[in-house]
Amino acid sequence: MIIENFKHKMAAHCESGTITSLLNHAGMQISEPLVFGISSGLFFGYFHKMKTFPFPTFIVRNKPGQMRINITKRLGTKFNESSFRKNDEGARKLDDLLQHNIPTAAQVDFFYLDYVPSWERVHINVHFMVVIGKEGSNYIVSDSYFPEPVTLKSSSLDNSRFAGGSMSPKGFIFHVADIPSSVNYKAAIIKGIKNVCFNMLRIPVPFLGVKGIRLFAKKIIEWPNFARDTEHLSHEIMKINILLEDQGTGGAGFRFIYATFLQEAAEILSKPELSGLSRQLMEIGDGWRELSLFAARIGKNRDLGPEKLKQLSGLIQNRAEVEEKFFTELNDVIKRV
Amino acid sequence: MELKNEIKTLIINTLGFRNITPSDVDDEKPLFGGENSLTLDSVDALEIIMALQRQYNVRIADQNLARNIIRSINSIAEFIYSEQNKSNG
Repeated sequence: MIIENFKHKMAAHCESGTITSLLNHAGMQISEPLVFGISSGLFFGYFHKMKTFPFPTFIVRNKPGQMRINITKRLGTKFNESSFRKNDEGARKLDDLLQHNIPTAAQVDFFYLDYVPSWERVHINVHFMVVIGKEGSNYIVSDSYFPEPVTLKSSSLDNSRFAGGSMSPKGFIFHVADIPSSVNYKAAIIKGIKNVCFNMLRIPVPFLGVKGIRLFAKKIIEWPNFARDTEHLSHEIMKINILLEDQGTGGAGFRFIYATFLQEAAEILSKPELSGLSRQLMEIGDGWRELSLFAARIGKNRDLGPEKLKQLSGLIQNRAEVEEKFFTELNDVIKRV
Repeated sequence: MELKNEIKTLIINTLGFRNITPSDVDDEKPLFGGENSLTLDSVDALEIIMALQRQYNVRIADQNLARNIIRSINSIAEFIYSEQNKSNG
């Protein structure tokens, strides 16, 4: 069986795309950029030396799952959520929901999705997709990274839902329980923007927001001290490109979605200044792409001398400057609404 | 045809392939995975995205769409053509 009236759509990001698809199916007409913006998806965090990370790393979006939590708070939607200790319980619950024609989002490890070309598969435990049917021993999946719904073997879905490791999904699934009869989009947008400005400018943690970008710029010079050898360093430097561009949405990608959100927000709030800021953010996103490409090139060519790392540091520092200016302006505009 | 040759030349020049000419590159075969005369990786993909943006003033903002757009010479040409039509219309 397949849930016939479910409309599959591609999206820029798996979590915001999944939430958008579920809400659209439940009757709420909302775009992915609005979901991303209202849920304050944009973020930055640099983690230099922590027990959980074997090498310094960074994040470019808010914590996985946080978008759903923020959407619930700001739009008044309700989701039913379940995690499982046993695989068979998780499979039974999912089958039961499908039997009741309920499209169900699942958190999965991307590596086990057999519809993804083998060379693109990496272990990411926080990929989200919607299961929309089951035929024999295959599930029908609406994965927003693909142009059409795809099929996935039961065993692969099981492996991906119950993969181990950091942020393991534990079979986590969720579906829409209720949507409000009316939504105050203006208030939700304002809250979402204020929250992003706070996170990027004023969050009192030295490695988060713009402060985190600055710390990243400063500390990247020290990365050779943590690497075993040039191969390892090259791998880690190329991971900057993977985290910014290749893996799912990317740093520039998130900025591009947020720019589209600001464009929509400009109309809803009747604030044309937000359109100007949207254009600015598109250019900021281009800068993240340039940075990402530079990291990929020097990593690929093993051209990792101090001069190159200094140049890379300069590019990151420049992102901190432009983002600080951008979020300060955005904060000023939203305060006046 | 002219657009496709232009795109092939852009890719060859951007990525510095010395022994490949536009006529060696198949229009429909995927540019990734080794089936075409060009064998590209994800870093090359980003180089191509940025070269297309510079040459044709088209921003491919969505990484998932980008994967489909730069799948082959035909898909890139189709995208450029539709973007040019949008801005002309």
